[in-house]
Amino acid sequence: MSISVENISKNFGTFAALSDVSLTVNTGELVALLGPSGSGKTTLLRIIAGLETPNPTSGPIRFHDEDVGNRYVGDRRVGFVFQHYALFRNMTVAENVAFGMKVRPRRERPSKKEIQRRVHELLQLVQLDVMAHRYPNQLSGGQRQRVALARALAMEPKVLLLDEPFGALDAKVRRELRGWLKRLQQEINITTVFVTHDQDEALELANRVVVMNQGQIEQIGTPDDVFHNPKTEFVVNFLGQVNRFSGSLENGKVCFSTVAWEPPEPDHSVRGPASVFVRPHEFKVEKNPGDDPNFRATVCRIHSAGPNVQIELEAESGETLVAEMSQERYRLLGLERGSEVYVSPMNATFFMNGSC
Amino acid sequence: MALAELTPAESRSEVRLISSPTAEPLWVRVLLMGITFSFLALFLVLPLVVIFAEALSEGLQVYFHSMEDPDTLSAIGLTLLTAAVSLPLSTLFGVAAAWAIGKFQFRGKNLLVTLIDLPFTVSPVVVGLIFVMLFGREGWLGPWLAEHHIRIIYAVPGVILVTLFVTFPFVARELIPLMESQGTEEEEAACVLGANGWQTFWHVTLPNIKWGLLYGVILCNARAMGEFGAVSVVSGQIRGETNTMPLCVEALYNDYNFVAAFSVASLLAILALVTLILQSVIQWKAKRRLQMAEQAFATGEETL
Repeated sequence: MSISVENISKNFGTFAALSDVSLTVNTGELVALLGPSGSGKTTLLRIIAGLETPNPTSGPIRFHDEDVGNRYVGDRRVGFVFQHYALFRNMTVAENVAFGMKVRPRRERPSKKEIQRRVHELLQLVQLDVMAHRYPNQLSGGQRQRVALARALAMEPKVLLLDEPFGALDAKVRRELRGWLKRLQQEINITTVFVTHDQDEALELANRVVVMNQGQIEQIGTPDDVFHNPKTEFVVNFLGQVNRFSGSLENGKVCFSTVAWEPPEPDHSVRGPASVFVRPHEFKVEKNPGDDPNFRATVCRIHSAGPNVQIELEAESGETLVAEMSQERYRLLGLERGSEVYVSPMNATFFMNGSC
Repeated sequence: MALAELTPAESRSEVRLISSPTAEPLWVRVLLMGITFSFLALFLVLPLVVIFAEALSEGLQVYFHSMEDPDTLSAIGLTLLTAAVSLPLSTLFGVAAAWAIGKFQFRGKNLLVTLIDLPFTVSPVVVGLIFVMLFGREGWLGPWLAEHHIRIIYAVPGVILVTLFVTFPFVARELIPLMESQGTEEEEAACVLGANGWQTFWHVTLPNIKWGLLYGVILCNARAMGEFGAVSVVSGQIRGETNTMPLCVEALYNDYNFVAAFSVASLLAILALVTLILQSVIQWKAKRRLQMAEQAFATGEETL
């Protein structure tokens, strides 16, 4: 089932949490709402679920062409997973999962046996059937998260909404659950929207990423798209580490620090001051000046613990920047603090000042 | 002698001070505990002992016989009736108020919280007078009530009304912080899962507040049975009709019927003791549940 919202705005008092947001999620898609805290991503998710009402001027909220905007949250049949799980602490795991089926009106309620069978099936799906009779506070964070998911799936929802699903878990568990969620989502093929502030999570899991900032959508695209072709300064900044320079555009060349980099498709028509962004891995560091346009820099600091080596440099013109290279290359160059190097940008993203 | 004992303790305590900044020297602790225990013994334990000693001074038979007096029995009956009516009502009010304050945002919330405390801050005698002014013969609603032959002041309804007034904050006070700290996430989860308001309350909210609720009800009960000032003003102290147990104690005492007075007082004291024991048991149980849950969580954490 597809989800579409049109021109959604939401104010909390005078604070505009969302302003004029429109979004379509296709059937079976896994979409991430990515943004810093206060960007409105959770508000948007809660509006889709029916836990918040948008401003009256807002457009419709449609589930598969059906306007559900006026429908009560319990009648929207969405699976919702809360950030802090919100498991019923007075019920066992099995009772938690069964709750959604037990509270249905008598006519629609499955038989006791059927409920039991479903609970067992769902707990098997989330690999927790041995924990069925435990209470939520006897489970670890990752287990609670999975119970919350099983409980949401028990309603046989057409839409699954997850609010910071891995936010409260430690890094290792988070990674495990991520892969598991992706497989599960594909297996049951359910339209899923999840909220996260972790760009790695969004880029790894989602089919499409919606980058949000200050109540507005900055960019919607595939992970590759938003990472490699960011449309706004905010998106570049938010998606991973980046070096920012104030430079300018002249004769189709991007000038910053003491270097002029030529884009593959130069546009000679624009000129003027620009903000230039270069990711650490887009810098090539050499011991000797090569043919590529480069600038001189001094090594200030080296972080070599990790799959790649990060090098903090001070450019001739005074700016500090970070470059990244493989361990192998680092050893080959034999860099140490104070080494003089030549840095050439292999790629850069730039925005004309005032244009965005 | 005492000084000689304290000096080494003091030097030891200096070492302890380093390890724990809040640990006081031994003599301070002994002094504080001494004061506390003497105070308790003098003002709480001694009166209790006196009550039972006086009540039983002429033997068990007289003790029980003194309670068979029809006026005394009527006072006991009225006290039970008052508690039976005011308990469910103030529980209902308390849950409703705590629900509204803990789970919703609305204008005038702070005003409501302050108003709930009002019965605690107003003197019970003043409360009684307010009700006399409202419902008494010369009061605002007096003429209308007289026309319809409804008696509130100097009658049982008045006793119940003032008791309600002085007891209604107990449950609310107990539940408001609890419900505020629990937040609304579980209720939201229940709504998303399709539960209606009643199902959400019954299956999700109520189980989470039951210990606090019980605690509030016990306190409420103690006050309902023990209230003197307000009841004394509105009841008119008519023996066999509007006297509650505390009023009955006073009446018997003024009649120089000491054994009977202390016998009824001993009933109230027993009630207070039972209340205290129940209260501790509930506190202990709630605490143990929390500890067990935390322990279980700590061990569960290692296994995922």
